[in-house]
Amino acid sequence: MQLKPFRLTLLGLSLLIPFALGAVVLFLLIFSWQAIGFNGLGFVSRVIWNLGDLYDDPVTTRGVLVPAGANYGILVFIAGTLLSSAFAILIAVPLSVGAAIFLAEIVPHKIRPALSMLVELVAVVPSVVFGLWGIAVLVPFIGTVLGPAISKYLGFIPFLAGGDSGGGYGLLAASVVLALMITPIIATTLLDALLQVPKENRESAFALGATHFEVVSKAMMPMVRTTLVGGIVLALGRALGETMAVLMVSGGGLNILPHSIFSPISTIASFIVSQLDSAEGDPTNMAVRSLAEIALVLFIITLLTNAGAKILTSGGFHVRKPKQ
Amino acid sequence: MRATSADGLAITGIVAKEDFTVNINNMLRRSTLLRAGVAALALSSLTGFAGSAKAQSITPLVESGSSLLYPLFNIWVEDYQSINPGIQITTTSTGSGAGIAQAIKGLVQIGASDAYVSNAMEKAHPTILSIPLAISAQAVNYNLPGVTNLHLSGPILAGIYSGTITKWNDPQIAAANPGVTLPANTIVPIHRLDGSGDTFIFSQYLSASTPSWKSSVGFGTTLSWPPITGEIGAKGNAGMLAAAKANPYSVAYIGVSYASKVAAAGLGIAALENASGAYVTPTPDTIGAAADSIANSTPPDERISMIFTTGANNYPIVNYEYAVVDSNQEASAVADAIRTFLTWAINDGNSPKYLKQVNFLPLPAPIKALSAAQIAKIQ
Repeated sequence: MQLKPFRLTLLGLSLLIPFALGAVVLFLLIFSWQAIGFNGLGFVSRVIWNLGDLYDDPVTTRGVLVPAGANYGILVFIAGTLLSSAFAILIAVPLSVGAAIFLAEIVPHKIRPALSMLVELVAVVPSVVFGLWGIAVLVPFIGTVLGPAISKYLGFIPFLAGGDSGGGYGLLAASVVLALMITPIIATTLLDALLQVPKENRESAFALGATHFEVVSKAMMPMVRTTLVGGIVLALGRALGETMAVLMVSGGGLNILPHSIFSPISTIASFIVSQLDSAEGDPTNMAVRSLAEIALVLFIITLLTNAGAKILTSGGFHVRKPKQ
Repeated sequence: MRATSADGLAITGIVAKEDFTVNINNMLRRSTLLRAGVAALALSSLTGFAGSAKAQSITPLVESGSSLLYPLFNIWVEDYQSINPGIQITTTSTGSGAGIAQAIKGLVQIGASDAYVSNAMEKAHPTILSIPLAISAQAVNYNLPGVTNLHLSGPILAGIYSGTITKWNDPQIAAANPGVTLPANTIVPIHRLDGSGDTFIFSQYLSASTPSWKSSVGFGTTLSWPPITGEIGAKGNAGMLAAAKANPYSVAYIGVSYASKVAAAGLGIAALENASGAYVTPTPDTIGAAADSIANSTPPDERISMIFTTGANNYPIVNYEYAVVDSNQEASAVADAIRTFLTWAINDGNSPKYLKQVNFLPLPAPIKALSAAQIAKIQ
């Protein structure tokens, strides 16, 4: 058999990524095994997170040596992660769909590249810059203007009341910062797809007497729906795992579930960062192992959302034709 | 010896340059990727050779840990490099917990920490030393429009941070502040959400002064904070400052190295109740008084809390800044270098020239002697 160096090299390179992923998961699993046993299933349903007394002698709890009073429950962080990402998507999707349609349909050809490059530029702004902007501009704005206004006029809606809590730091601030970070991801993906819609389809729709709005909403959008979902999944992946910007504006909610969009929250990724240093002071190492277990949970959440999106896009979505 | 090695360096430098130009020409002529690879290899092997020739006389040390100590280490190292070029120190800011953990694992030679190594850690790793290098303190700051001389005590702060005291005109706060008109607004407590020595010493003050806090929350570099509506978690001292500045009626604990920025932000500095029942603000005098009061009772391993000491003029939240070092070093050259640098740090390094810049105070003489004795143990 003839050796094909080009093929072999590519094969090796392509195996590298799944191998690395598998190695990371395997490491997390082995490292957190003891914690998984100690925490049990209650890990994801308990509200209280307590590292315990790291400065006294550890005690034996449920057969394992851990710091006295240690209790690891991460429901608050799961809720914070899912809620902030969901709100971010809610804010980002209309913005990015609007931006993409504007760039594809309204903007004159000559300045489109410049404008779309601007949108792409937002995607490469480091997250810490968004975080700083969040602290300096967004948080005070929510705390003094937006928060009180929302709770005054929309306070009758359950999750929107209580504008005075958190002083602007919290779920809303985190969601807005996340939304800004993911809008360009969805917008650029969608723009690329919109530009590839065959001219014939577009022009046939016009020829049939459709308005510009109808052309976009009935002839073009159905063709790019799969791409839109794909873009949203990409964006969700970024939002779920975003760390620094969220840490700076989320208010770091602990031991309490968010009860309004102004409640301080913690996301899984930001919580791992904020706790790691103290966890390393745990002589029994259970705290770090539990953090590794949280990382596994985050991994499973991202995996589930991705799988869900795959099913969405491969299922009914792209065979469905616009209604006649 | 040094002159010849310098000459050698210069020569290899020239060779490398020529090699490089030759290779560039080749690349331009043939423009093959392979050539570039060879050029890169040739360059790296040459610089690698030069590096090893240089390394003979230089011992590299790595410092890692407390972000509060990091600025001081940076100031120290910058000067120390010119005083003693034979020791090359890299400083990194990772956090006290990481500093201790990395020093124990042997990844770094000097771990910087705002807290001494815990009893449990010390039992597991008996060769680890906690060596005080300087004295720091922490202010409790408030954003309270119209009030400038607020008195606070450990039990009041414990009440605020556990949610039992929610308004500024609470009877307990009023009792500590006779003659001060307190607003009826809700208190916004701000705490650190990243692991921090500041949280450690603040919660030690609350634990030492308030038994109910000690039994329910305790102390640590991060806490399982009781949930309070409106409470803010902020990242780093800079985040604490920003949150306190932006939120009227807030209270926050911030290290004294941020004193000038706190003053610029217009925040108040609370007078805190000490163990003698007196209210004192953090000044060099009151911080020094607290340090002096325990200087003679400090044990040889120097793991002692300076929080909530007895003495009319003692500021209650004062702490040693520690270097965490494994006394059992693998290479004697490294042990020598650590001893040399730390000895410099507690002597010349304790001069106001360095400490003033970060608002730290020098070690009292008896403590300096104890630190020196611990430094001598590093082998």
